[in-house]
Formats: sequence, C-alpha cells, structure tokens
Amino acid sequence: MPVYSFYIFDRHAECIYKRRWLPRPTSIAGKPSRATDAQAGSTGLGQTVKAGDDDAKLVFGTVFSLRNMVRKLGGEEDNFVSFTTSQYKLHYYETPTNIKFVMLTDLKSPSMRIALQQIYINLFVEYVVKNPLSPVEHPGGVGVNNELFEESLEQFVTRVLA
Amino acid sequence: MSATKASRIGEETRIDKVNAELVTLTYGTIVAQLCQDYDNDYQEVNKQLEKMGYNIGMRLIEDFLAKSGVGRCANFRETADMIAKVGFKIFLNVAPTVTNWASDNNQFSLIFEDNPLADFVELPDDGRAQDELWFSNILCGVLRGALEMVNFASPFPVQMQIEAHFVSDVLRGDDTTEMRVSLVRYIEDEMPPEEE
Repeated sequence: MPVYSFYIFDRHAECIYKRRWLPRPTSIAGKPSRATDAQAGSTGLGQTVKAGDDDAKLVFGTVFSLRNMVRKLGGEEDNFVSFTTSQYKLHYYETPTNIKFVMLTDLKSPSMRIALQQIYINLFVEYVVKNPLSPVEHPGGVGVNNELFEESLEQFVTRVLA
Repeated sequence: MSATKASRIGEETRIDKVNAELVTLTYGTIVAQLCQDYDNDYQEVNKQLEKMGYNIGMRLIEDFLAKSGVGRCANFRETADMIAKVGFKIFLNVAPTVTNWASDNNQFSLIFEDNPLADFVELPDDGRAQDELWFSNILCGVLRGALEMVNFASPFPVQMQIEAHFVSDVLRGDDTTEMRVSLVRYIEDEMPPEEE
C-alpha cells in the first residue's frame, strides 16, 4: 500500500519536515526509490500536484481550514481523520501541542491515524524532542532531519506500512 | 475529566524508573554549581533554575502526552488536576494537592507533601539563603514551559501562558511547600503567514 508523502507542521504553522516516496513500480518488488529532490517527487500524485514548496503550504492551508470547520460544526472535541479525492487519501493527526502530522497514501489504504500517532510517540518524541542537543523549536526543519528519525521513519513506512 | 480519572491515569501510566538518589544528587549539584557561579546571588539562581525548567518543560510535555495519551483539557481546573495527579505522578512519583482556588478560577496552589528534589537538603546558613533561595524553583519553569505548549479545546484552540512561583518551602522552615500557579493569558492559535 503506497505512501506518497508525509508532512509535519509545527505550532507556528511551519512545515518542519517533508518527505516524498515514489509509488512502488509494479514490475520491481524491491525497496521504493526515495525522492529527496522536490522536483523528482512530483510523479507520485499523478499530474495534479505541483512540485516544490507550494504543496506543503497548500496541505497546511487545507488541513487548518478543514480542522476549524469540523470543530465549528461537530463541537470542540471533533476532528477529521482523513479525506479522499479521486487520486489520493489524506490522513491527519494533531497532538494537543498543535503539531500536525499529515500523510498522503493511495485510495485503498486503511486509516493511518494510529500509524501517525505511532510516528509521533515512537519516532518524533523519542528521536527529535528528547534529543537534548536539538533545538526545542524547529525553524526550517532544524533538528527534525536527524539520522535516527529519518531512518526509523523510512523503516516504519517501508516495512510496517508496506 | 474528573479528578479521580486523572488519578487513575497517573497511577497506571508506566514509565521507566530511575534511582531517586541519583536525581536528587544530580539536581542538588546543579543548584550548588549555580550558587557558586553566581556568587550566591540567590535571586539570580532562582531565575536560572526557572529558565532551565522552562526549557525542560517545553520538551517534557511531548513525552507526557505520548506516555499518558490524554487529550486536551476543557478548562484550567482540569489542567490543575492533570498537572498534579498525572504529570507530577509519572515524572516525580508525587501527587501534590490542588487547593486555594482564586474566585475567578485562574489561580491555584499546589501543596507538596513530598518533594524528591529536596531530599537530604539543608539550605546554607548564611542568613540569606533561607530568605532568598527557592531550591526547587526548576519546577516552576517546567510548568510554565509545558503549559505554554498545550492548548484548550475551547472554541478555537488557544495556548496558555502561566506564571508559577513558590510561596513557602519546608526547607525554609515553613509548614508546607506551596507553589502558586496563575493563568496569565491565553495565546491565540497561530495562523499561517500571509502570502505577499
């Protein structure tokens, strides 16, 4: 079940981590190739999403508005879990500290809410927050892009979720 | 969430244990070093301890949420129970009493019957430490840092700024160790910056 991309937004509405995965080619059953280059990753979502920094901003704007609308209609404790388009499914998890985790997967994927929560508890808190030498806030993603976090995330997405 | 439910979460949340004496001695060493570095300027030592606590609190809150799995608090009273019965319980294994609410519900006291940071401690007899040093002042900072990061579920999520200080300490010869916690203001949810 392909994961297309993954974003973390901090409480200052800044994208502090972004990762894209190319969809697994059907002919090769190996590890999905990784697209760190923003331009190279655009094929993951068909032709609908423009490459570059824009997508993170768009994703944030969408989840921010959607979350506020959901709370207005459904009450303060309400939250949206995912939404689906004809191309992808967007999964959302927000911590009480206002850190937002977003994952885009293909349409057939089950709910990723637990997976996103696990990423927060077991990867983000352990490897980013508890690293005493990383800054408390992460402007521009400083401190999030450390090896332990990235590698564990890669493993989690390719092995656990695959 | 009721106070009893908060107690239960505090009791049940599993956490790795660490030797209490190690914590006490480590903390004591920090305070002693600060006193030395600032030439026994205890006001300054209080300030530095609070600042250190603030930096710890900002991180500790994430660990707290990850471990306890609790959601947002609906009001400041719930927050107080959460701090006393879950927070202090899982990190220091003490559960201070929440009391002395101000009439506007924006101020309360935490009474510590037991304070692991201050075990074996006797304040120096220089005639000033007893009046000026708040030995466990790091705790005030931890609360300030931690609460600044979380938000209420009220109409739109808001974060809160609080102020905490000790008003009495058994180390100074007082009957109780009491910390006063006040809600200063709510901080609005940050919006994404406008496109230029």
